[in-house]
Amino acid sequence: MSADPGQSWRLAARLARRELRSGLGGFRIFLACLALGVAAIAAVFSTQAILDRSIAADAREILGGDVLVELVHRPASAGERAAIAAMGPVAASAEMRAMARAERPNETGAGGRTLVELKTVEDAYPLYGALETDPPLSHDAMFARRDGRWGAAVAPELAARLGLARGDTVKIGEARFEVRATIGHEPDRIGGLGLFALGPRVMISDAALADTALVQPGSLIRYKYRVRLPQETTPAAFIGALEDTHPDAGWRIRTLDESSPRLTRLIGRVTLFLSFVGLTALLVGGVGVANAVRAWLDGKIATIATVKCLGAPRALVFRIYLLQVLAIAVIGTAIGLAVGAVLPILAADLLAAVVPIRVSAGLYPLPLAVAAAFGLLTALAFSVWALGRAGDIAPGNLFRALVAPTRGWPRAPYVAATALLAATLAALAVATASDTRFAIWFVVGSAGAMVAFRLAAAGIAHAAARITGVRRPAVRLALAGLHRPGAATAPVVLSLGLGLSMLVTVATIEGNLSRQISDELPDKAPSFFFVDIQPDQISPFESLVAEIAGFERSAQVPMLRGRITRVNGVPADEAAVDPSGRWVLRGDRGITWADRPPAHNDIVRGEWWPADYAGELLVSIDERVAQGLGLDLGDTITVNVLGREFTARIANTRRIDWQQLAINFVMVFSPGPLEAAPRMYIAVVHAAEAAEDPLERRVTDSFANVTSVRVRAALETVAALVGNVGAAVRLTALVTLVSGTLVLAGAIAAGHRRRIYDSVVLKVLGATRRDINTAYVLEYGLLGLVTAVIAAVVGSVTGWAVVIWLLRIDWAFTPGAVVATTGIATAITVGAGLVGTWRAMGQKAAPWLRNE
Amino acid sequence: MIALADAHLHLASAGGDVNILRGIDLSVATGETVGVVGPSGSGKSTMMMVIAGLERLTRGTIEVAGTNLAQLDEDALARFRRTRVGIVFQAFHLIPTMNALENVAVPLEFAGNADAFAIARATLESVGLGHRLDHYPAQLSGGEQQRVALARAFAPGPDLLLADEPTGNLDGETGQRIVDLLFDLAARNGTTLLLITHDPAIAARCDRIVHLADGRIVTE
Repeated sequence: MSADPGQSWRLAARLARRELRSGLGGFRIFLACLALGVAAIAAVFSTQAILDRSIAADAREILGGDVLVELVHRPASAGERAAIAAMGPVAASAEMRAMARAERPNETGAGGRTLVELKTVEDAYPLYGALETDPPLSHDAMFARRDGRWGAAVAPELAARLGLARGDTVKIGEARFEVRATIGHEPDRIGGLGLFALGPRVMISDAALADTALVQPGSLIRYKYRVRLPQETTPAAFIGALEDTHPDAGWRIRTLDESSPRLTRLIGRVTLFLSFVGLTALLVGGVGVANAVRAWLDGKIATIATVKCLGAPRALVFRIYLLQVLAIAVIGTAIGLAVGAVLPILAADLLAAVVPIRVSAGLYPLPLAVAAAFGLLTALAFSVWALGRAGDIAPGNLFRALVAPTRGWPRAPYVAATALLAATLAALAVATASDTRFAIWFVVGSAGAMVAFRLAAAGIAHAAARITGVRRPAVRLALAGLHRPGAATAPVVLSLGLGLSMLVTVATIEGNLSRQISDELPDKAPSFFFVDIQPDQISPFESLVAEIAGFERSAQVPMLRGRITRVNGVPADEAAVDPSGRWVLRGDRGITWADRPPAHNDIVRGEWWPADYAGELLVSIDERVAQGLGLDLGDTITVNVLGREFTARIANTRRIDWQQLAINFVMVFSPGPLEAAPRMYIAVVHAAEAAEDPLERRVTDSFANVTSVRVRAALETVAALVGNVGAAVRLTALVTLVSGTLVLAGAIAAGHRRRIYDSVVLKVLGATRRDINTAYVLEYGLLGLVTAVIAAVVGSVTGWAVVIWLLRIDWAFTPGAVVATTGIATAITVGAGLVGTWRAMGQKAAPWLRNE
Repeated sequence: MIALADAHLHLASAGGDVNILRGIDLSVATGETVGVVGPSGSGKSTMMMVIAGLERLTRGTIEVAGTNLAQLDEDALARFRRTRVGIVFQAFHLIPTMNALENVAVPLEFAGNADAFAIARATLESVGLGHRLDHYPAQLSGGEQQRVALARAFAPGPDLLLADEPTGNLDGETGQRIVDLLFDLAARNGTTLLLITHDPAIAARCDRIVHLADGRIVTE
């Protein structure tokens, strides 16, 4: 069979090329749909590549060294420090949150104050990159003590917030600092603070820290040792050497791969979500591709029948048209790739403003290749069905001057090829996603949504066909328009429905998130968290806050930071844990002890220990974390606190209501062993809004070492971050809707000739323009409305699933999003339908009647 | 060349089964020209489609050029048509995206003929269109289009030429010229010709006339 010259790919290519000479006229929607989807995916993946590459390129600067050793609560001992320094030059720093108070009175007569992110630096700082300050000063000139004041470099926001000029004095803890410079660029800022800082940066020398009296037992200070390794020493060798000499130090060692883990994770999450939105746009575009290919092949029926009459076998017909579709797909994909590659480069400045790193924009082949694969696979998956049917066109039709399109299923190999292509597309989506489980849900969900919309379309057509006895001709016409052969019902419901569902999903998720952050949390949230209260300050602290007018209530708990080092005796790095539990093992966690269960916590498994319990160390652990770590009652976890290891048996698990913004701990231990460790207290204070300023002033004036975190301000920072991410997601979701609208426009254009003929005949029969318009408004309005209602249900259910299972926050129905979606859908369909009708109505009747 | 025996064809339709051919026996010798006439719906086109291998009989046998068409699958029939059967339609059915030369070359290309374009050129010249090789169907008159269609049908040198109302879309004078050309080509190439027509004058030029009515041959 392969020897048959009539089946050769070369012949097919030659014939395909001849046909393509007639231009790409029928392929505008195909090209636009594919280009749009590919552009969205290419832009999202390219942006991720640009950010990842930029972080990797500056990893040394961002981390501040080749490796970073981090300890919480305590500095490295002399022995530990010596072991670290033996490997290479070290820049040590201590980082903590503290209160900065301007010494000069402000308008209210009291000095302004604010929480700052304090960081001590040594002469060796920075090991990589440069600290840029205004004015540029030497380490000594910047930080040394002069006339009883230490030097400080402060972020411009602090200077602005407290009204500080160079030479002014700011108090931090017990020490006075002269503002000597403002910070322009801090090379390792993003690695230290991520995107989310509670206050502006202040840099001082390590010698000055002692004078602040902020270093108290248990204060939350992170001691960081950044090391420049000689070329011959690998990070692995460094880690191995430190673990050999100081196995129980309890430090966390970060290498260049995790220079800014929080930022990388955030970028990964946002990209994951955006790429799925982009894929939905591509799927919607796929519906446009399928329609375009079908309409195009319908116009080729006579040609196909002719070549079959002339002796072309079925396979040759398939190949001729497959090659043409492929050629158009390559063009569409190339346009999409070009747009998707250039957009992130053009938006590099915008990107740099959101993510404070040096963005090295450029072309990244891998993300573009992935986007191209998505584009070509989509084009093929959505066209093989129609192409397969083209081979079935009966050549005998030419004798009857009957060129009816073939409908129904193509032959088995084409059905199998479509299934295989769809499976490959799904596999690619899963393989390229950073979260496999989420990707599988997306694939299953979008396949389910497509089936649901297809069934809904069939249902609408079926129902429209069953409605009888309608007396008004306009309504009868509208109903007929929904179920007649070749009606736009299926493609419009499917494509617009998918696009709108995505929009409703995004709007629902965002609505729930912002309601949570802006509306609900502030009502429940306390006014302040006060951190680093020493045990002997607790009683005076309580009395002081109780005196202030507007004070409502406060609660205090002891807090330590500890890192889980072993799970059931297995080192944490080697423990087999579910990805959902991995975060608990990353870095240190706040821990506490208590003799009774915390408020807002429900015991899920096991029992709380008796109030006078004094036996083996027990721990109560968050239920979800226990599941993530695969822990059961009676299992053990080991935490390292200040270099000492504590192993505790799990006595019970709790369900924590994190939304209460109370002081919640993943791990609560039984009283006893931990009480001996140096600790500090953390207090939550609820007060009237008017009482917040005086309360903060009184507390920070009286307790210089205590840091206040204003919850309202922190929530605003989070809200701004969510807003930025939300804007990006909304923009991508809009691409999906544009794709859906393109498909709609294509479907309406395909029915243009029919509409002209219908309106001509109706006019001949005495219908007014108004009658005809009413019929079309009804038809498209009905289509838009039904599509919107289904999309609202699908989108809301998807949004609900994400809110409940992924974000794990309370769900509330957001009617605004649904109403807006319904309005948009109806407006788009009616608008597009009317534009088409308007053009049809302008046609003169005579030529059409003669031709027909 | 053609042997149809007890040929029946019924098609299922929404309104019930329709018997289109009801037992046709027809034998056509090599080189013979046969005119097929009859009212609309009498089964003329369907009989021609059966002979072209484009429609299968429900009952009876069909042999063309010694080949039992019932034993060939769809692709084998396509290969058979390429070289053995030429077809000319009332509506020309040229491929709009190909110029005259390419239209004529297509069946030769399907057959893997290395000289496809040379033969196509010569055939077009023989029908008086040597100066129109690069023209697309839309740039040709109706008569010119039908001449291209004739060239396409004759170029592979078929044993049998089937023509379905080849002048139906042409004015009288142009139609006359096409019919002259058709008979001339058939005679020159020794091609068997089966011609459907409503025009008694054209039918009269054939060696034999077959009258069809209601799916049966009524007179010969």
